[in-house]
Parts: sequence; structure tokens; C-alpha cells
Amino acid sequence: MRAVHKRYLREFFPAMFAYVVLILLSVSWLKSLEGTAPRMIVTLLPVLPIAFVIRAMVRVIRDQDEFERRVDLEAIAIGGAVGGFGFFTYGMLLNAKVIVPPSAESVAIWVLPALMGSFGLAKCALGWYYRAR
Amino acid sequence: MNNRVRELRTLLGWSQADLGDKLDVSRQTVNAIETGKYDPSLPLAFKIARLFEMPIESIFTPGEQA
Repeated sequence: MRAVHKRYLREFFPAMFAYVVLILLSVSWLKSLEGTAPRMIVTLLPVLPIAFVIRAMVRVIRDQDEFERRVDLEAIAIGGAVGGFGFFTYGMLLNAKVIVPPSAESVAIWVLPALMGSFGLAKCALGWYYRAR
Repeated sequence: MNNRVRELRTLLGWSQADLGDKLDVSRQTVNAIETGKYDPSLPLAFKIARLFEMPIESIFTPGEQA
């Protein structure tokens, strides 16, 4: 594994660990916490490590070699388009009342994971494409 | 674009990983260049030419689309 990817893992895993710890802490704390400002701060605590995950992703994209960067940027473009298309389709079905509508907050929370997931799938497909032959 | 990277690399007895280390790129990048799935940037193409001590035009030649 190249140094740039080792650094990415060194940055990614602690941030994800912090996220898991803070989300558990936040959820249990919010059950008893009152007041808008304190609830807002405690609610947003788990968001901070995710910002560090995004920072790690930006750093690895900038510092890896030109071909790796191309694959990642293609995967982001394709993953973003597919993720957006998925949400658009979902929105159309919700609008037509064909499916049971979830709460607005649950839809909003799934945007980032869905985009990350579609990025991951697109990256796997591109990796396969560039390896094949 | 066609290239002779695989031919030159094997002549020197290097693996894709060896060439990747010398160019500071990944093995996957070397593989993508050798199979023609990726055309390197001009700076990387010059780096390859310098490493093989050959003119860039004797390693990279225009393909059908050029």
C-alpha cells in the first residue's frame, strides 16, 4: 500500500471511530437534555468527525497519482449522478403517493451515506473496468 | 495512443510494481498505461522517457484516433 493510502486510513478510521462514539453519546444524552441550544450542540457533535472523514477523502484525492485521481473523480461524478437519479426517482414515487412517505429527517440523513455508497459502487465498477483486459 | 512501456519494462526485468516505485505511481497506474486504458499526462510521459533514457516519441506513438 502506498504512503498516501496509509495516511488516508490513519485519518479515516479514527474519525469514523469518533463518529460512532459521539453518535451513541449524542443519542443517549438527547433523551434527557432540554433547551434548544444545548440540544443543537449535542445533536451536531457527531457531524464533526464526518467533516474530518471528508477532509481525509479530499487529501487522498489531491495527493494520489494522476490515474488514481482520475478514477476517484470519475467515480464521484458517476456516483453523484446515480445517487441523484435515485433520490429523484424516490421523490417522484413519494410525490405520486405510491410508497409510504418516511419522515423528512430520515430522508435527509440518508443523502450522504447514499452518495458515499454510490461512489463506492462506481469506484468498484471502474476498478474492474480498468483492470479488465 | 500506443506505447512500448510493457516491452521496455520487461526488457529491464522490472515488475509493474518496480516501475511504479520508480515513477512514484501505483502498480494499477502502470497497468492502465501499459494496456492503453489510460494515457499518462505529459509530465508523467516525460518521466517515463527519462527513466528509460529514450526520446518520448519512441515510447509513445499516436494511435488510431490521433
